Parts: sequence; structure tokens; C-alpha cells
Amino acid sequence: MTPTVQIEGDVGRVVLSGQFDFSAHREFRQVCETLISNPGIKEVLIDFQNVNYLDSSALGMLLLLKEKIGAASKSLALVNCRDSVKQVLDIACFGKIFIIR
Amino acid sequence: MKILVVDDTESVLLLISRFVEALGHKAIQARNGLEALEIWRLERPDLVLMDMIMPVMTGLEAAVAIKHEAHETWVPIVFVTGVGEENKLAEAIEQGADDYINKPVNFRVLEAKLKAFSRTLELNRKVREQSLKLADYYDRAEEEKRVVSHLMEQMVNAELLYDPQFEYYLSPAESLSGDLIAAARTPGQALYLMLADGIGHGLTAALNVLPLTQPFYTMTEKGYTISDILIEMNNKVRQVLPVGRFVALVLISIDESAGCIEVWNGGMPSVHVMSPHGEVKHIWKSSHLPLGIVPTNAMDVTTDRYYFNEPASLVAYSDGLIEARHSVKGDYGLGRLLRVLAEVPAEQRLHHAKSDLGLFLDGEAHHDDISLVLAYFGDRPIALSKERVAPVVEEVNVSTFAALGGSAWRYSVALGVDEIRHINTVPFMMNFIGGVRSLVYSQSDVFLILTELFVNALDHGVLGLNSAMKRGADGMEQYLCERANRLEMLTEGRIEIDLTGLHHEGKDVLRIRVKDSGPGFDWSQLYIGDSGLDHQQAFGRGIALVRSLCASAQYHGTGNEVVAYYIPRTKAV
Repeated sequence: MTPTVQIEGDVGRVVLSGQFDFSAHREFRQVCETLISNPGIKEVLIDFQNVNYLDSSALGMLLLLKEKIGAASKSLALVNCRDSVKQVLDIACFGKIFIIR
Repeated sequence: MKILVVDDTESVLLLISRFVEALGHKAIQARNGLEALEIWRLERPDLVLMDMIMPVMTGLEAAVAIKHEAHETWVPIVFVTGVGEENKLAEAIEQGADDYINKPVNFRVLEAKLKAFSRTLELNRKVREQSLKLADYYDRAEEEKRVVSHLMEQMVNAELLYDPQFEYYLSPAESLSGDLIAAARTPGQALYLMLADGIGHGLTAALNVLPLTQPFYTMTEKGYTISDILIEMNNKVRQVLPVGRFVALVLISIDESAGCIEVWNGGMPSVHVMSPHGEVKHIWKSSHLPLGIVPTNAMDVTTDRYYFNEPASLVAYSDGLIEARHSVKGDYGLGRLLRVLAEVPAEQRLHHAKSDLGLFLDGEAHHDDISLVLAYFGDRPIALSKERVAPVVEEVNVSTFAALGGSAWRYSVALGVDEIRHINTVPFMMNFIGGVRSLVYSQSDVFLILTELFVNALDHGVLGLNSAMKRGADGMEQYLCERANRLEMLTEGRIEIDLTGLHHEGKDVLRIRVKDSGPGFDWSQLYIGDSGLDHQQAFGRGIALVRSLCASAQYHGTGNEVVAYYIPRTKAV
């Protein structure tokens, strides 16, 4: 999986595709770090529209990202979740700590 | 490089040696194949430049011997040969020689070849180093796995997992499982079950779930509620695990005597109650975040209750089961699991589901740890507690007890409002009881007696609740809600508990006195007889239980003080 980044004003969108699991962790971290260190970015969106599967290590990566984004005083939202992705987020009750749109 | 130069012609030997040295290498010499082999054994040169036709032993024979002895170490052997030896040359290269150079030697070509071999040798050395390192890592990883899996086995305490009330199936994706199943009974004989799933699988997942075992076993043993245990577990997980690591967990309490199941589900697939005919009667969805994500004070540890009065079974599993994937058929899925469980009688369900999963996967490996727990309840309509009571039947005159003088030990607790609200008194006292030797076989009895007397003193004495509220479909929930409210609003109240160890005719006797600041009740009705108990809604079941366990239990004064005498068991139940 190679995440792509789209910047629209002060919003950085990370578009993921395929399986989001541990094998994606390096690319995901790199992409997110460039957005976090970019002072022009106020909000980071993780776009799941092309993701068909995510596992527990992906949830772990999201938690880590949330921590880093919080430290950089930016906001974070998970967007365009398909049913299969939404189900995983629901079971983990991630709606309690993430903005999911 | 250290280069072994072999030639039976002294002048050629000298010439090549000088040239090699002029290029910055070290030359060592031999004058025939046998000598070459002996010197090679002593000096272990990096490369051999060797004539082919020599007395005593030919270059070809020596080359074969050297290659054989060098095993996996690569020693390039380059033949220096006269024209007309092509056949021999081909044979030599076939048997392991690496290259050749024609006589008379063209030194420009030799220099280039030495450079090429030096490069390859360097590469070869690096590969060998790395593969050694890799083998070393592998051994270390295997050893670590061995230690952790031993640790897991010890922590999981397989002995406790033999309990007729439940069965389980656990199949790790790798040699170590990130799924953990644990079970234990409280002193009051409620069965606590834990099913945890650490993030990922293998070693790190296994390490994630390890911190949970200790609070689970020790706190269950003392009779803490599952909410208390959750708080402790979340603290532990947050203390030990880094950000981004968490443990999905379902914690279950099955209390046969109360006919109640409590479940807390944080991030695990839904837990189902299934009737003997396979209908799904109740579902506990995940309604909390997994452990380790939020600070404990932000956590909701309220459990969801389910009351039962007929036999049924409970199904809990990890996502690895329903997500087990077959390359053609796709995911195993919840639908198939529930259908398969429903099609056989309860006692065959685990076995049936296991073999169906095997059939489904058809030899393919599953990518995540798989666990399935089935627990059975409600098939013992007579409360478990009554069955196991079998009190010490002994005619003892109550008045003799009252007259008993000297005490071996005494343990007193007096609780004010704040303590009533925040100290989990009975489990706390069980710490002490656990150390009293004369009570070693009576932990469970003492826990039940203390729990009943304390709950009565608090609920009916201090909080003034009426058990009649418990009636009706939602009665119990309402009762518990009201109880929590009143406890929150409580401004005055006091409960005293006295435990005294007495001796009576060479036997141990335990006196338990519980006094509360409430107004009490008309206890004379209690002693009218068994029929009277039905009308005593507020003090019915609990007191009956205490009486069946104790040699005597009497209310005093206005009914806000109770004194019970208990004769400890001398054998394990």
C-alpha cells in the first residue's frame, strides 16, 4: 500500500488503499510525519475510501498518529469509511476518541 | 590478500611471488600439491595461484583436497597453466577450480584477475557475516519465544482452565498466542472468564496480554467485582505498554446462585447467549474502548447484566475466528459460526465448531489467533450455594458461644461514609482472612457470610433500600441504580465489622459481628419459622444462606446488629 497525500488549503488528506495493516506502517508513518511537520497544515484527514481491510495493528498506528497530532496541536479525522472498515472501528469503539465522518 | 603461490619451477615461483608482493599482497610459497595442502592448512590463505603439473601431488588433486577441507569458506583457486593442457583445465574447473591464467603469465591480466577476486572475496565475506548474524538472530528469537511461551503457560495457569462450567478452543497463528483465556472462581463461587486479544500476533501480542493475568487471578480469588478488576488491569496495561498498543478484552462473571451474568466488552466481537435450541437470546456488543487507550479515570467500567432462570450457554470468541480466511471461500463469518453452534446439542457445540472450522480452512493456515469459549449455566436450578453449603452439622448451644471468653485473635473494621463509598470492604478483609490458618478451608464460606451481612447492613441498614424493588423485569437494574444514587448522596452512616477467633473445647470458632447505623428492623419476625422468610423481602435469601452456613446467626437490639458463629471446616470442600 502506498498512501498518497493531497493538500487542500490547510487540510492534508492521506488517501489509503487496499489492506491497511502492519506492512503499511513505514509508509504511513512517513506520510503522516511530513504533514505533521508542515506548519501550514491544521487538519489531517485519513481517507479510507479505498481501504477494504484493516487489522488491529492499523488501529495501533491510528492511536500513535492521534498522539502525535495532538502534540502538534492539529486536528485529525477519519473519513470515507466503508462498512467493512466501519465495523472494525465500531467494535474497537474508536468513535469515542476519533472523529469519524 | 594472503596468496599461496604453488609451482615446482623455482624461477616461476619466485617471479609470481614478487609480482604478487609488488601489488601489495602477501605471498607464501609451496613447491608441489602436497606441500600446498599442508601450508594451506596452516596459513589459511585467501587465494591460491597454482601450477597444474607438479611432482608428488598434482595441482588438480591439491585443489580438490583444499576445496573439500574448506567446506563453506570460499577459497578461490586459480590455475597457472601452460598451453596444451586445455582438457585438464576444463576438468579442473569442473571439479571446483575458479579460474585459470596462461603461461607465460601476462602480469596485467593477473593483476586484473586478483582485483576481481578481491572484490568477490569481500562480498563473500560480507554475506557470510550477515548470514551468521541472521542465524544468531534466529536462535535468539527462538529462545525468546521458548521463554515467553513457558511464561505464558505458567501465567495462564491451565489447571484453573479445567472447569466443568466451560470449554474453550485456542489456536495460535504462530507459536505464541496473542489471545489469552483465563478463568477463576471467586470465593463466592462465581465464575470469572477473561478473553483477551493483544494487538497483532506472536511474541509482542503475547507480551501485551501478560500484564492482565496477575490482577485477574489475585483479585478474583479475593472476590473483587469485575469492574474493580478492570480498573486494575487498565492501570497495569497503561503502565507497561507503549502508546499504540492495546488489548481488546471481554470480562465475564457468571454467578449461578444469583442467576446473573455480567459482561464488560471492550473491543472484542459480540458475546452471545444461546438457548439449548440454538436461538440467540442476548448479545453484548463491544461498548467500550479496549484496555490501555484511555486513562483509568476516563473509563466506564459498568457491566451489562443478564438474568437467567433456564439453561443456556454463552459464546465468546476472538475476531480471528470469524475472520479466518480461506483463499477461495473467503471469511468464516459470524453467520456460519452461529449456525454451526445451533445445529447440535450444547455439549457437542465446541467440538462441532472446531471440526467445522477445520473443514472450512481445509488445511490452510489462519492469519490471526483463534479462540472460542463456551460457558454453560442455568442447568443447576438449585442455587450452587445451597448445594455446597453442607454446614458443619453440630449441635452447639448458642449460649455457650455467648459465654466464650478468651479470643485467639480479633480483627475490627469501622467504616465511615467515605470508606463505605470507596473501600471494597469484603475483598479487602479477605486479604486478612486468607492468612488465618484455622480458616484455610473456609475462605469461600467466610466470604459468603461477610458479603451477605455487609450487603444487608449497607443496602437495608445504611441506605434504607427495600428488596421488594428487585421484583419485576427491570427490578434488579432499578434497585442497583437506586443503590448507586443513594450511595452517592450518602452523608452519614457507619458500619462496624468485628471478626474474632475463639476456642471452644479444642475447636476453633469464628465470631462475626456486623453493626450498622441504620434504624434496624423487626427481627423477631425472622424467627417465626421458614414460612416467615417469604414475607421478609428485605432480609430473605441472604439471611437464610448465612444461617445455613453458620452454627448460629442472631439479630440484636433494634435489628441493626447481627452476630454469627461459624465453625471452620477442617477439610477442603
